[in-house]
Amino acid sequence: MRRGALLLALGLASCLRGESHEVELGVENFFYQTRPSLLNLGNVLGLKDQEDLLRATFHGKEVWGEARVVVSGYVETQLGGGSTPTWTAREAYAQYSFGPGVSVRVGKQRVDWGSGLAWNPTNRIEPPKNPLDTALEEQGALAARVDMVPAPWVGVTFLAAHSNTRPGDLPFPVPGPTATIGALRARFLVKDTDLALVLSGGTYTHRVVGVDVARNLGPFAVHFEGAVTQGSDLLPPRSDTFFPRLVAGFLETEGTTSYSLEYFYNGDGWTHAAYSAYRESLPLTFAQSVDPTLPAPARQAASEEYLTLAGIPYAGGMGLRRHYLHASWSRGELMGRFGLQAQAVWGLSDSGLVLTPGVSYEAKDQMTFDLDAVLLLGASTSEYRLGPIRSALAARVRFFF
Amino acid sequence: MSSPLVLLLAVATDATAILQKSQVAVLGETAAYTLRMVVTRPGKPVRTVEMKGLKKGDDLGLVRFTSPPKERGTAYLRNGNSNWLYLPSAEKVVRVGPKQNFAGGDFSNGDIFRLSLTRDYVATVVGEEAVEGVPTLHLELKARDRTVAYDRVSYWVRNDATFFPVRSEYYTLSGKLLKTLVVSEVKPLGGRSRPTLLVMESRVDEGARTEIRFLAIEDGLTLDDRLFAPNALERGE
Repeated sequence: MRRGALLLALGLASCLRGESHEVELGVENFFYQTRPSLLNLGNVLGLKDQEDLLRATFHGKEVWGEARVVVSGYVETQLGGGSTPTWTAREAYAQYSFGPGVSVRVGKQRVDWGSGLAWNPTNRIEPPKNPLDTALEEQGALAARVDMVPAPWVGVTFLAAHSNTRPGDLPFPVPGPTATIGALRARFLVKDTDLALVLSGGTYTHRVVGVDVARNLGPFAVHFEGAVTQGSDLLPPRSDTFFPRLVAGFLETEGTTSYSLEYFYNGDGWTHAAYSAYRESLPLTFAQSVDPTLPAPARQAASEEYLTLAGIPYAGGMGLRRHYLHASWSRGELMGRFGLQAQAVWGLSDSGLVLTPGVSYEAKDQMTFDLDAVLLLGASTSEYRLGPIRSALAARVRFFF
Repeated sequence: MSSPLVLLLAVATDATAILQKSQVAVLGETAAYTLRMVVTRPGKPVRTVEMKGLKKGDDLGLVRFTSPPKERGTAYLRNGNSNWLYLPSAEKVVRVGPKQNFAGGDFSNGDIFRLSLTRDYVATVVGEEAVEGVPTLHLELKARDRTVAYDRVSYWVRNDATFFPVRSEYYTLSGKLLKTLVVSEVKPLGGRSRPTLLVMESRVDEGARTEIRFLAIEDGLTLDDRLFAPNALERGE
């Protein structure tokens, strides 16, 4: 209700015509097949064999001189089953710039810092990324952000945020606490190299000290993003232990073709033994939660424990294992208005594979159509096969005004 | 009497001075501008985009798309040898390499932003020629090192006090002609006469061409260097 009111108020504000304005309306359909899986034993998530979500999306931006208001969100309903439409604001913020040196942004906003393309270990501000959202339209965090540029080669960002610790964009609810986060990021441009230092911490979040480096090397834009995180997103929490996370990769763009490769080391990830123990604990705990020979309180405790365990893969959004590879390729202007793209995430620790091929079509200057498939492949014991979703199809039509 | 070495140096200096004057003939040292870019590809629909840009010296450049609506907000920033692209849909700033064609056309990022030909190339005057009826000076530009986009550029400027650029030909290390640029339509814009139309034609992809037409130019502005900081892109400004 509060979210809807905020969206409505900012939407109305954005209709007060500024000196420049943008409006984007869209329709998204997210169709996916479900299977019984270790994270949904006994179908505790209440999923059908085939789920079909329909979303009407809105994005608006209105600019008055140094001030701007940005609102984006969607209304979602489930096709074929009497669900009630729900409103979600992805972003709703106001920004004001005091010349080129200082700007202030307040409201629900995306932060999106870090040079990593698929993983950003220095950014633990927003709700974790939904790995199935191929359009990367993440939800923002409620935050106040101040950007200062004291000199052309240095920029400092102060941020205070109130953020969900679970992905908000999954087709099923994943409950979790709300974190209060403070962050400081200083970014430098030194000898044609981007260098950023990040500090963040707060309640229901981990302390992070990070560094981010990017520069051009021949035809490539190469990047390295690393962070040390205090405490684990996985079990046990190990709150006094520091875990490194490192991302290194490159991007090359030439003409309308681009490709990238990125390696991610997740120091927080489980070893083979720990992961096997986790997989084995899921059916055992679930069996206890439905065991009629146990007293009701014990069954209830087991049920809660099962849901906690099943929520772990979504806790940090950084993965359960240690080594990953991400590759992407895209090519635009094929046969005029078509574009092709493909992404793959390969879990090197367990041979899991997520493939996301897609096609885009620009019908006119004011309209685009995207169709993406999500295929969760690889070893049956891999983390990508834990969840109830096996494959999905996402279709988006967007109109720009 | 001057020695041959002194004469050679004098000719080289003249060529550099001519090149310097020619470079600021279209856009001044510091400028704000609006342009329309039309990209033509054989068998594909013509693509038209409009953008607003800022330029300061040889190293600082910022361009934001204003049209068509689906590309609005996309921005390119150049600061020294670094290029970044801002993707509004992802609200993400991505560092990009130097080879990327600017906005999918035939101009490279270097053509748009790397405006310091005098720094990247050694220029010599090789003769006087008429190009499409216009008396010109023909300059040969040789890359100082291999970090620049082209090994050699043939460059024609008007043989008068304006030194307006007229035509350029861009060659690879192997001597292959990659593309040609024709600069034309001299008319008053932003308080003075200047060429307002740049047409780049690919010599590799037959029929591929990109046209840039300046719609508005304001020279001599005082622009804060902080406008060209990567943080400004992150804020979506």
